[in-house]
Amino acid sequence: MSIKTIIWLGVLLFLQPFNALAAVTGEIVGQGGQKFPIAVSPLKNQGGNTAEAGRLSTGIADAIVHDLELSGWFKVLDRSAYIENAQNSGITLGTFDFKDWSTIGAEGLVKGGFSVQGDEVTVELRLFDVYQNKERIGKRYTGRVRDFRRIAHKFVDEVINQFTGIPGVFNTRIVYVSNSGGRFKEIFVSHLDGSEKFQVTDNHTINLSPSWSPDGRSVIYSSFKDRNQTLYLFELFSGKELKFTPRGAGRYLSGKLSPDGQSVVATLESAGNSNLYLLDKSGNVIRRLTEDPGIEVSASWSPDGRQITFVSDRGGSPQIYILDLQSGKTRRLTYSGSYNTSPEWSPKGDRVAYTGRVGNRFAIFSISVDGGEPRKLTSESSDSEDPTWSPDGRFIAFSSNRAGKYHLYVMQASGDNQRRLTGSGGDDTKPSWSPRLD
Amino acid sequence: MKTHFRIACYNLLAGAVALFLTACAPSATSKPDSGAADGASAARSPGGDQQAGEGQRGGTKESDASSLKQLQEGKSPVTPASSPLKDVFFDFDRYDLSGDARTILRSNAEWLKSNPSARVEIEGHCDDRGTNEYNLALGAKRAQSAREYLSTLGVAADRLSTISYGQEIPVCKEQTESCWRQNRRARFVVLQGRSAS
Repeated sequence: MSIKTIIWLGVLLFLQPFNALAAVTGEIVGQGGQKFPIAVSPLKNQGGNTAEAGRLSTGIADAIVHDLELSGWFKVLDRSAYIENAQNSGITLGTFDFKDWSTIGAEGLVKGGFSVQGDEVTVELRLFDVYQNKERIGKRYTGRVRDFRRIAHKFVDEVINQFTGIPGVFNTRIVYVSNSGGRFKEIFVSHLDGSEKFQVTDNHTINLSPSWSPDGRSVIYSSFKDRNQTLYLFELFSGKELKFTPRGAGRYLSGKLSPDGQSVVATLESAGNSNLYLLDKSGNVIRRLTEDPGIEVSASWSPDGRQITFVSDRGGSPQIYILDLQSGKTRRLTYSGSYNTSPEWSPKGDRVAYTGRVGNRFAIFSISVDGGEPRKLTSESSDSEDPTWSPDGRFIAFSSNRAGKYHLYVMQASGDNQRRLTGSGGDDTKPSWSPRLD
Repeated sequence: MKTHFRIACYNLLAGAVALFLTACAPSATSKPDSGAADGASAARSPGGDQQAGEGQRGGTKESDASSLKQLQEGKSPVTPASSPLKDVFFDFDRYDLSGDARTILRSNAEWLKSNPSARVEIEGHCDDRGTNEYNLALGAKRAQSAREYLSTLGVAADRLSTISYGQEIPVCKEQTESCWRQNRRARFVVLQGRSAS
């Protein structure tokens, strides 16, 4: 074959989705509607420093396995059933036997290799179609050895893109509140699996309601660290922080940055009344949004930045409303249940997730932005609260005490495949899912 | 002291030969990567937190017996039995004053009128059901209810400030109606003037 033909073949293979139907529905379905069976081989050490070789060989594979399982779309076959020895086998077409993998029931296969030079690692990862004996994705990454999990996340996002036409959301972070088992509430950032945990605040008070800037570089949160609760905008890289100073004797209870990052919708409490205000990103008031004498809190933006969903007790109990910023018109969204709060607008724009009281417990619901019947996503045998959407709108992370303390969980937007994310030994609450990161 | 740690990515073709590598498609918004947030110890500058607190950890400036101060010092935020200003209690998701609450407030008002130099911060608290933000707003309503009633009883409003702690500084943590009831309170903390205890 000429070199040109090889290139074109590679391009065609690269572009073909596994399952044409899957690309249309955005979901992954294996044979018979089950999860897609996939094997993830430990990576082959292709030379270099051997001190970390064992750790990276399984560490990178483990991180890939973890993300694939979190998605709920894959069944990752147990490594103990794998036939070949990864260190003695090739990682490119023709250098290993597909039968070793079809025999154990794999339809997809991830294989790869790495080499370490100093504190840098080069990782090669490939996705194979076991039935058709073809390669679907081939990627090479270089980065710091300590960033190996990020490489795994990026590759899984590519795998999911290959299956569904939409990249995955595993190269993202969550910011959340944890009391680490103690009496203070501090803000933390970590990968979805709880790894690479980074402490944003350390002020030994109460810090709450963190959320991301749209560029993923800053976090806004409220804190009592200066005695009176207000908002702080913290830049993760530089460590620089901007404090929002409320007018008069007011306090800011919470705030969220707009999708274009230029404004903030905040709850200002003054003389007992809590109302929504529109601020610029430096914390200056642009205008007041609600005039109701009751409680108006917990505003969240629509993805196009033109509407806000929020909680108000103007109807006698906490319910969820939508305010159109252009027209100024407000409409009520929830009519079921006596206590509905924490609304979050899906990045897809079509639904709002929220926390609703069921009996004496709280559960996560989602409802169409056009109203109608809400869909209950979690069981009310324990409390599930604080929903936050993934940037592609296909997953929801939340906080639940179903295992005793509050931990963070993730599920598909349908409520399927609920899996625990964190286990800090304390209560982890109020997660916010970052945008996609580089 | 921050550095950005990049991950470089290349596409491989089936049976890759190095000649045919192409760079992976750039992301929609090109931005420096966020690797720096992954555990580098210098990422959070201590100055960011300290400057807000005027040099003092946690930032409470006055020597006060507020629930926040007690939380920071590891003390119980329960109002001592010896305090002349008693807590008032509320029903779930309510901020209106019951008959019992008014009786307590009348007694509190008498003490305040007898101690005209005392300034008081009225704290609003909630039980832990429902969301933190809604409870912060509800606590503010509770504190304001108490303040307004004291003011109608002749206590100068400018002696009374309010603050809400929502569900954040409870006096107990059991998931029982008895504990929840104790947390749904307004608490009166003397800031200046003659000591309340």
